[in-house]
Amino acid sequence: MSQGTAVQDVPTPAEKTEPQPLLALSGVGKRFGEFSALSDIDIAFNAHEGHCLLGENGAGKSTLCNLVFGIHQPTSGDMRLDGALYAPANPRDAMRHGVAMVHQHFSLINELPVIDNLLIGKKFGRLNRKAEAEKIMTLATEFGLGLAPFEIVGDLSVGQRQRIEIVKCLMQRPRLLILDEPTAVLLPEEINSLLDVCRRVAESGCAVAMVTHKLAEIARVADRVTVLRGGRAVAHSADPSNDMDVLVRAMISREGEAGDNRNFGVSALPPRKLAPHRGPLPEAMQIDNLSFVDEIGVKRLDSVTLTIAEGEIVGVAGVEGNGQSELGSILAGLSHATSGRWFAAGHELTTAKPRQITAAGVGVIPEDRHLVASIGQLSLADNLQLGRMQGFARYGLIDRKRQREEARTLMQRFDVRAPDSQSAFSTLSGGNQQKAVLARELTTSNLRFLLAAHPTRGLDIGAIEAVYTYIRQAADQETGVLLISSELDELLAVADRIVVFYRGRIIGERAAKIDNRDDIGSLMSGKTP
Amino acid sequence: MTMELFVVFLASSVRLAIPLLFAATGEYVSERAGIVNMSVEGMMLTGAFGGALGTAMTGSPYFGLLFAVVIVLPVALLQSVLTNTLRANQVVTGIGINILVLGLTTLGYRQFFGNRSREMITGFNAWSPPFLGDLPVIGPIFHQAGLAYLAVAIIIALAWFMSRTGAGVALRAAGEDPHAVAISGVPVITLRHGAVLFTGLMAALGGAFLSIAEIHTFTEGMTRGAGYLAIVAVIFGNWKIWRIVLACLLFGAATALQFQLPAIGVQLPNALLIMMPYLLALLAVAGLVGRQIAPRALAQPFWK
Amino acid sequence: MTDIPYQLPGIPSAAYSDILGRIAIPVIAVVAAFLVGLVAVMAMGVPLDRAVSAFINGAFGSAYSISASLNRSISLALVGIGFVIAARAGLTNVGGEGQIAMGGVFATALCLAPGIAELPFGLSFIIPLVGGAIAGGVWGAIAGFLKVRAGANEVITTLLLSFIAIWLLYWSVQSENLLRQPMTSSATLPESLSIPASTQVPLLTGSYTSPVTWGLPLTIVIAIAAAIILSRSVFGFNLKAIGFNPVAAARAGIAVGAGVVTALFVAGALGGLAGALMLQGEQYSLKAGFSSNYGFDGLVVGLLARNSITGVIAGAVLFGFMRSGGISMEMMASVPSALVGIIQGLIVVSIAGAAYFLDRRSAR
Repeated sequence: MSQGTAVQDVPTPAEKTEPQPLLALSGVGKRFGEFSALSDIDIAFNAHEGHCLLGENGAGKSTLCNLVFGIHQPTSGDMRLDGALYAPANPRDAMRHGVAMVHQHFSLINELPVIDNLLIGKKFGRLNRKAEAEKIMTLATEFGLGLAPFEIVGDLSVGQRQRIEIVKCLMQRPRLLILDEPTAVLLPEEINSLLDVCRRVAESGCAVAMVTHKLAEIARVADRVTVLRGGRAVAHSADPSNDMDVLVRAMISREGEAGDNRNFGVSALPPRKLAPHRGPLPEAMQIDNLSFVDEIGVKRLDSVTLTIAEGEIVGVAGVEGNGQSELGSILAGLSHATSGRWFAAGHELTTAKPRQITAAGVGVIPEDRHLVASIGQLSLADNLQLGRMQGFARYGLIDRKRQREEARTLMQRFDVRAPDSQSAFSTLSGGNQQKAVLARELTTSNLRFLLAAHPTRGLDIGAIEAVYTYIRQAADQETGVLLISSELDELLAVADRIVVFYRGRIIGERAAKIDNRDDIGSLMSGKTP
Repeated sequence: MTMELFVVFLASSVRLAIPLLFAATGEYVSERAGIVNMSVEGMMLTGAFGGALGTAMTGSPYFGLLFAVVIVLPVALLQSVLTNTLRANQVVTGIGINILVLGLTTLGYRQFFGNRSREMITGFNAWSPPFLGDLPVIGPIFHQAGLAYLAVAIIIALAWFMSRTGAGVALRAAGEDPHAVAISGVPVITLRHGAVLFTGLMAALGGAFLSIAEIHTFTEGMTRGAGYLAIVAVIFGNWKIWRIVLACLLFGAATALQFQLPAIGVQLPNALLIMMPYLLALLAVAGLVGRQIAPRALAQPFWK
Repeated sequence: MTDIPYQLPGIPSAAYSDILGRIAIPVIAVVAAFLVGLVAVMAMGVPLDRAVSAFINGAFGSAYSISASLNRSISLALVGIGFVIAARAGLTNVGGEGQIAMGGVFATALCLAPGIAELPFGLSFIIPLVGGAIAGGVWGAIAGFLKVRAGANEVITTLLLSFIAIWLLYWSVQSENLLRQPMTSSATLPESLSIPASTQVPLLTGSYTSPVTWGLPLTIVIAIAAAIILSRSVFGFNLKAIGFNPVAAARAGIAVGAGVVTALFVAGALGGLAGALMLQGEQYSLKAGFSSNYGFDGLVVGLLARNSITGVIAGAVLFGFMRSGGISMEMMASVPSALVGIIQGLIVVSIAGAAYFLDRRSAR
């Protein structure tokens, strides 16, 4: 611990104190087929230091972690651990070298108790659970981690599960601990204690690499920060607290240069022309006191009430995991509210099936494009008309020619680019897939209300701009829109007003004006004025 | 029913349950690791054949037992490679192996036993353990083949292994979420190979019990669905070892009742009794009798 | 959350290796399995030419044997087509055996029911056929219903339902209150009465020297209809969508639950029809071992066809003729027909195992 502070205390220029790096990457790149996820990365992780990898969605942070942890192998460049060439073939190999990783998705077995989860793969012989638990508890307390070793994992909260994951890593006494967006799933008070844990781990002599896209977290843990954008390392700082402005600019640079920058897509949009005031508009959608309790009894939505007028775009802001997904799922008809009601276009849809919701004139862009919005193995044309095949049928048989013509019309209208309407949907780029989903949902007959959940996630600039152009066009034609997004800047640029979700509640509402940005930001962290 | 008759009924219930107990606890291990072996039927049949052949050749039922295990090994290995290495559909390969094994054992039987098919082989005799066997009234229940006591010992050891050792925990975890287990550094595929081979071992013992200790000969296709019934016991036992043991005993009792009911003058169609295990298991999976929770990754091939 | 393309673009459609997989692998497997069979025949010391000529004679040596083989193929094809239809919705129907049994039981009951035999216009044999199909369909639909309602895995439920049906069949020929013929002596066999001639499915040629029934053209029509429904109809499309991604299908407004139940009903109905045809076209009275593994063999045929109706037909013809050849080999050359089981088992295991080399690409 004393060593850790010693390194920090030396106030000499960075070059001279540059310690021997524990893990050094040079010229590392990773391609997936045509897609280059990472290129030419030079980065070093030092013992005793917290090193944050900063970047927006799609910047290549997770890919970088996966390379270091042996889940993927780099396509170029090399990695050196303590000076020796390090090329982990798989996670087990990485762990043997003292590299441990806390994934975004926990690798815990929900059916088993905590202690069993911690011992999987470590002990194969007889288990003395009590003795092992004591040893583990000692280790956990050393780093300020509370554990309940005999609880069943499935009964625990996300924060508790994450602590198990961390303890599992620490039990190997790692030399490098990687955490992939560990705070994304946590409540604010849990975040602070997690960051403290990270700090302590670094002080104990381990190198800590933490992925995040939240600036506020950096000051608490990071000795160093590397900013990734479009798969490249675009900025580096050994004094992040003082370089914050530089880092922010590097991360969300608005110049729209080589790398893809999400915000550019929005800033290229013309400002929204608000429809001339016509007095109170008819409602497109109304949510009345909606609550949702999930299967483990956690209240995910708490008395949400919201009305959207025709032609209005309402943004839902909030840190992910504050009830937005559950709201999206209810409005899509994939789950039903525990209490409360909701209506669209004058129909009560509280217990409606997806088919009835669509028939009422509701379009849905679900947040999971691959699992919910489309079927990758089917053709583009089939996906464009998923659920509408009846319209092309005579005596139950599909008129393929007409279906193909109609698909081509939609492709043209929504600029969906594919070699052919018969191309397998999975071979399309993310942007074209999303445009196809939009094409289908926006052509829902009698469209009155559109739910768009994270419609630009993982897309490039051009596609983002196109997606929002179409969504706005729909609003201009009197469709009410509920836009859920974790990108505040997108919401500010596209929506008319923004409601902020925090722990399943709407804790505030602001006009979508850039002046309100800070205000909304603090609402997102649960601070009400 | 007199007490005496009742004790006879209990003893025969246990006796009829033994082959099921072997096969079902074996299959339990595989299913907990995430694998369904429809071939447990074929493995039992092979074990029955091997047991009879080995005993007939040497005159020693112990050698027969050993031979049963040895001859099932390649069958289990075939299933294991198909399932774990080639990630083939578990249901299809299982049924395929059953067809194959039915053919092979029938052919083998005609080759080796052809002209002396009526002969009985020396088998294991029933044996009464000291103390338990001398108990008044219920003593006869314990008069069973020694293999029955081997089954009890194996099941106790297995229950201990599955709940109290790291390997057991890892094995159960591999049937729930093999990816998570692999990330923890457990060689999932090796573990699953081991599970299938263990199922083979147990099915061999169950099959050998049928031919050596029970019928004292081999007949074509003599298991007649006992392997499938073992799978049903695992389902009805909700993938928990003690409940599976109870299910096997219950199924044994249902079979024993067929012979007992007419003796006490109750007319119930045989078919209804034989059908009962399947019906109970169906009601159980339908959620009408408790809640069945299968291992999450059951029957899904594991790709790294 | 870094977005890696969900499935990597740029993999050229595997048309070439698809053809290789769909045709070459089964052909190689079948040829290799037959070679193993020949070696086994030689090892048993039976003259090869005698065994082979017995096999060929039994399979297609005469009009009679061809007819018998075709009748067997019909049953396998119907079960296989049903399997493929359910598989399109992502369902594995292991219950063919039980669906055949239920079809047989209800067809027998209807054939023997008062008044049916006197019906005009062929209704006397059509009504039992339809009844058998519905019985099998209901048996399949139960599994579908349990899947939708209780989330019960259909592999497990169809298997359990099969065993239940087999014992119901056993029961119905054991009990005089059900279908057993009246006991006149202790030697009265536990089987049903023979069904009246008017309820028998007519022979195509009208002559018992080539006893192929009208089941053959019916099966051909069903196969063609199934191929069209699967590839061109809204129903077939919806099944495909459900099979690939039930969540997305549901979101798009496709009735997933109804699709699952219907698919298993249709699969079961084809099994039931196979059972009814076996009874009314061939066996004429119901016995305990009535379904004699046609359900499991049909399942295997469906599986090996890898979702193609043409494949089902090829497999059904192969297995149907093999069964006939095997029986004749046992009678004429004293080679146990178990050898045919060995060959079939080898074919199944090797084709299922070879799927690895076809699927590896798409699974990765």
